[in-house]
Amino acid sequence: MQAALRRGLGRAPRVLRAAEAAPRPRCAPPAPRCWSCGGALPGGAGLPRFCPGCRALQPPAPRPDLFRLLGCDRSFRLDVQQLQRRFRSLQRALHPDRFGQRPPKEQHYSEQHSSLVNKAYQTLLDPLSRGLYLLELNGVEPAQETDCDADSEFLTEIMEINEKLAESKNEDILEEIETLIKVKQEELTKEVTAAFERDDLQEAKKLLAKMKYFANLEDKLKNKKIPP
Amino acid sequence: MAALRAVGAALLRPGRGEAAARLGYHKKVVDHYENPRNVGSLDRNAKNVGTGLVGAPACGDVMKLQVEVDENGRIIDARFKTFGCGSAIASSSLATEWVKGKTVDEALKIKNTDIAKELCLPPVKLHCSMLAEDAIKAALADYKLKQDPNKEESEKKANNA
Repeated sequence: MQAALRRGLGRAPRVLRAAEAAPRPRCAPPAPRCWSCGGALPGGAGLPRFCPGCRALQPPAPRPDLFRLLGCDRSFRLDVQQLQRRFRSLQRALHPDRFGQRPPKEQHYSEQHSSLVNKAYQTLLDPLSRGLYLLELNGVEPAQETDCDADSEFLTEIMEINEKLAESKNEDILEEIETLIKVKQEELTKEVTAAFERDDLQEAKKLLAKMKYFANLEDKLKNKKIPP
Repeated sequence: MAALRAVGAALLRPGRGEAAARLGYHKKVVDHYENPRNVGSLDRNAKNVGTGLVGAPACGDVMKLQVEVDENGRIIDARFKTFGCGSAIASSSLATEWVKGKTVDEALKIKNTDIAKELCLPPVKLHCSMLAEDAIKAALADYKLKQDPNKEESEKKANNA
């Protein structure tokens, strides 16, 4: 698997070769070189890559696009199984366990890659964090901590569920609340999907804020079911 | 050993649990968090009770603050319910203490900066005090509206005319 990835990532796409052949403007950054053998690196910057010459793992890009890293389209609608497959194959190739016999520098890069891939997977898997990340990529300001929400009908609902949860002592009520939260989250996920698909980012932001309240309730519910 | 693990688990949940509160918060916050003043509800349908319900979309905290006002316009009771971090609970608890005994107009002058200063909130928690100020304002606005329900209606008509 790792070998396959090394081959796959080592191959320079034709487009990039053509781009490299074009005359470089002055002050262009120098062509990337392998930290280990100094050989020129092919394209694919931003994705994990190995040197085609010495096969050393290269350092991760500073702020990679997490959708691209996990081979997904930049959209809110996402194929979870595809995401999981790509996540597992990346971890198989990049996990620090694979680099026990490699130089410390490469071990360090593998740790960085591996934690980045974890972060990307967690971010994209959860609809709330995926939506917030998508807003960030689109340059939409996230909800500020100083913003105040005054949608009183919605807040009343959240307040009531919170109160019910805080007071509930028996399993049946907890399960009832759990089902309610799940249904609400599914509804909101559908609405967020629709908002992103018609490019209504402000509406998506509003809906994601609502999801945040339910996500908090979900956490509290989990804590209550498995007491500290 | 098991006890040690349990403590470790509690510390891992930021903002939840007493151990976390003791470690991360100023002692005034911890005091309000452990012994919150005026928790509960007043009759939101009573004419002399104002209810403020606010939320923080960034962190998903909700805060309800209620005031009961006597015929002289003085706040005689206040209650709160907050579902959020220790600083949000402490800010609203302190807010209820401060509004009690004040007139509606005096209570409107309470600033988030005063709350933050009293509780020694760090910069990342200043928004909790802002939420408390918003909750006071919302409760007082609700009270005022109840005293003069026609005011908003007539203002609306004036705007539409």
